[in-house]
Amino acid sequence: MDIGFLAQYLMNGLMLGMMYALVAVGFTLFFGVLDVIKFSHGDVLTVGAFTALATYLGLEQIGVTDPATQILVMVIVSTVLIGGLGAVIARTVILPLRSAPPLNTLLITLMLGTVLREAVRLFYPEGGNPKPFPALLPTDSVTFGNFNLRLDNVLMFGAGVLVIVGTQWMLNRTKLGLAIRAVAQDEETAKTMGINFNLIVFITFALGSALAAFAGVMNGLYYNEINFGMGLLLGVIGFSAAIVGGMGNLYGAILGGFLFAALQTIGAVALPFASAYKDVFAFAVVIAIMAWRPTGLIQEKVSDRV
Amino acid sequence: MTNQPPANTTADAAKGKPLLMARGLTKRFGGVVALNELDLDLNVGEILGLIGPNGSGKTTFFNVTTGIYAPNGGTIEFDGRDLTGFSPQQVYHAGIARTFQRSRLSLPLSIFDNIMIGNHMRLTQGLWFNLMNRRAFRQEYEKSFETARALVKIFDPPLADRLDEPVAGLPMIDRRRIEICRALISQPKLLLLDEPSAGMTHDETAQLMDDILHVRGETDGLTIVIVEHEMGVIERITNRCVVLNFGSKIAEGTFSEISEDTEVKQAYLGIE
Amino acid sequence: MQDELKPTGKPLWQALIGAVLTTVYLILLLKVEEQSEVIGLLAGGAVLLLLLTKTGHLGGIGNTLHSREGALNLLVILGTLAIVGFFYEDHFTLLLIATVMLYVLATLGLNLQFGFAGVLNFAGASFFGIGAYTAAVLGAHTAVPSLLIILVGGVMAALIGCVLLLPVLRTRGHYAAVVTIAFALLFKTFLEVNDILGGPQGLQVPSMKVFGWDFNNNVALGDSVELSFYFSYIIVILLVLIAAFVLVRRVERSWIGLNLDALRLDETAASCFGLNIVRWKVTAFLLGNFLIGIAGALYGMVGGFVAPTSFTFADSLILVSIILLGGIGNVWGLIVAAAIVVIVPEKLQAIQEYRFLLFGGLVMMMLLFRPEGLLPRSVRRYFPGGAER
Repeated sequence: MDIGFLAQYLMNGLMLGMMYALVAVGFTLFFGVLDVIKFSHGDVLTVGAFTALATYLGLEQIGVTDPATQILVMVIVSTVLIGGLGAVIARTVILPLRSAPPLNTLLITLMLGTVLREAVRLFYPEGGNPKPFPALLPTDSVTFGNFNLRLDNVLMFGAGVLVIVGTQWMLNRTKLGLAIRAVAQDEETAKTMGINFNLIVFITFALGSALAAFAGVMNGLYYNEINFGMGLLLGVIGFSAAIVGGMGNLYGAILGGFLFAALQTIGAVALPFASAYKDVFAFAVVIAIMAWRPTGLIQEKVSDRV
Repeated sequence: MTNQPPANTTADAAKGKPLLMARGLTKRFGGVVALNELDLDLNVGEILGLIGPNGSGKTTFFNVTTGIYAPNGGTIEFDGRDLTGFSPQQVYHAGIARTFQRSRLSLPLSIFDNIMIGNHMRLTQGLWFNLMNRRAFRQEYEKSFETARALVKIFDPPLADRLDEPVAGLPMIDRRRIEICRALISQPKLLLLDEPSAGMTHDETAQLMDDILHVRGETDGLTIVIVEHEMGVIERITNRCVVLNFGSKIAEGTFSEISEDTEVKQAYLGIE
Repeated sequence: MQDELKPTGKPLWQALIGAVLTTVYLILLLKVEEQSEVIGLLAGGAVLLLLLTKTGHLGGIGNTLHSREGALNLLVILGTLAIVGFFYEDHFTLLLIATVMLYVLATLGLNLQFGFAGVLNFAGASFFGIGAYTAAVLGAHTAVPSLLIILVGGVMAALIGCVLLLPVLRTRGHYAAVVTIAFALLFKTFLEVNDILGGPQGLQVPSMKVFGWDFNNNVALGDSVELSFYFSYIIVILLVLIAAFVLVRRVERSWIGLNLDALRLDETAASCFGLNIVRWKVTAFLLGNFLIGIAGALYGMVGGFVAPTSFTFADSLILVSIILLGGIGNVWGLIVAAAIVVIVPEKLQAIQEYRFLLFGGLVMMMLLFRPEGLLPRSVRRYFPGGAER
């Protein structure tokens, strides 16, 4: 196996890691502000990808064919709508169950995930079949030996980095970020300091969901195909990445995302005979890591008060 | 009527051998030292009050003693055995039972069920016995039911006829009583009470303390450690007090002694 | 609360009428084909139930049966037999009834895990599938007797479940959930890509044979009456189901049931009273998977065919939905819920395709507005009719 081939895998792993990280950051944001796990997060991503696809088809209809414009509009429409969806979910599903046992939140978001997934399958035209996703980014490439560095991959990865850095900057450097962190630290104190708790929750859920939508678009552009079940794998691995990184820890989530991508990529290199089993392997890694470090590699704060 | 219960004078106590002996007990949470080299002796048959400001390590002492947290250093000896590093299950079998600061009853379950959770060591746990030998199970059930009823009756006779009601519908004082029954049903050698007055009115607290003293009279001078913020309670029922601050013992003695102690006053009032 | 435990004085005949009406209603519902009639029946049934609840009749019957459990058990069994007898030659309806019963069997297992011990399992359909595939493989390649295969199906599900024991025991709540979800997705993907187990096409499952009698033959009674071959399957399933029901009921009404409840409600407090958390979680998880596996093995034999699409994550969620709809931990509730979840989409073809969506939405509504389920579990009684004291 030569270097070029490995570089190809590396690129693949980085792209995968970026998508996982984007999803994991969402999980960790939700957990940070509300101590809840939103199991529908992966399916929100699916809805985001399909929204982008529908936007693309709409643009084609009205004659907008410039790829750059198309992508821009797709990303904006998808993130804004899905951000709104996230806020609506927080308002109608998450907040009403705040005083109920955490198990109920887990169950209701699992069911919400099913509803979203099924809604895509049933109500998107022929949603049960995989849908081709347009390759809108320039596919020019630079070749180093066997390794083909494609411009679209570089652009996507760069955009992902920008989004994550932007999120990070927003959380650490802006007033809004300060408010989010304050709520995550101590809800009661944040409230007494005059922070509008509900508003911060909505914004956080909108932000996390928008990140998922972005990851969904990225996924579509990268694989050029989306399907209604795509969010399940991304959701489970994104959640596991957030756990491994220590729930509520943003850097940990990003690290966790790339860790899972690395393991998956290594698995693909080491077990080339079993490319059909790549998803089986991915899920097995999740189970194994949970057995090994059930509370994450980076410890989360202990919350069980006796 | 005396305010102070008579100190128990069994053979062990006469020999001066403490029931529980903590030496250099230390527990850290990250950078916070919750227990700092704590030495504590508990005599057979006494009621010891464990007091101190919030966060001074009282509940942590309970949690370390009952095995919920492993200590970072030090030893605990109980009834002549080294208890250090025991699991909560082993501590329970050694004869220590407790209540919790925030009442941890199983609300959807009946009063009887909740008390039986505390009776675990006396109930036959085998699969065959429970599932197939229903006749023997019924005998054990009926015996346990009578035991539970007799115990609840000491606290509150009317409550003893309502053992099949869910705990969720009970007022706080009854919940506290049930919690204490759950701890007492296994006939422990040592009872740890973590703020039994929390969430109750002054009168209810007084009533509950009457109950506890009464039960103690019926149970052969049970040894009790009580964590409490209500100084009236401490004054009334303890033989001796230990005051903690920042995880260390700052004073020890009868309530009247420690209430005169300047360091204790400082700790509570925050005077430098 | 007290009243509920006293014999209500309501004579048993009310309950008897209720049982007869329910049986007739179910027969009608299973019989009609015309969609408008199905809708009418379903709506009528719902309205009638609401009315009877408002007038207190339903509660009265409930109380009577609560204190006369033997009568309740007998009525349910007789009602089932009456329905099965009525449809003695109708393959489709008998298969539907068998499916309901197998869902009840599987959810009894899930109830041990989730309803009693609080051990989350979102891979119920996978363990069901393990039982079914075991039946397919053993039936096709070995001479193991059918009844033994059913048991082996359960054992295999419990054994493969052991793979998850470590992560499930070491994690709590959400983390355990993600482990079982990952397993559910892994299992289905594995079946699809694995050629030995038939890939996406699945496998044929040989019929059940007991003492040389092939269950896939219709049963001729005299010259004129011929019972559907599903009839024999249903009798076997009913026997297994009764045994499982008694078992789960006894678990509930013993110190074991108490242990499971205690560890579900408060693990820390339970450990402080000597409860061995690991032992009881393992017991509930293995026993639960065993029952689910048995249900799966029977399912494979009855259907004669297994494929990955029957054991998806969505199917696992349907099993969980049954528990939630019925009322967590209530064994009677899950019978009612399983009947609704299986029969309604099958009869009402318009919603067949939408069933995952609809039940997902229904459970969401339930969690928001009536989290205790249709039939909330009542306080434990260790013996039928309340023990005398």
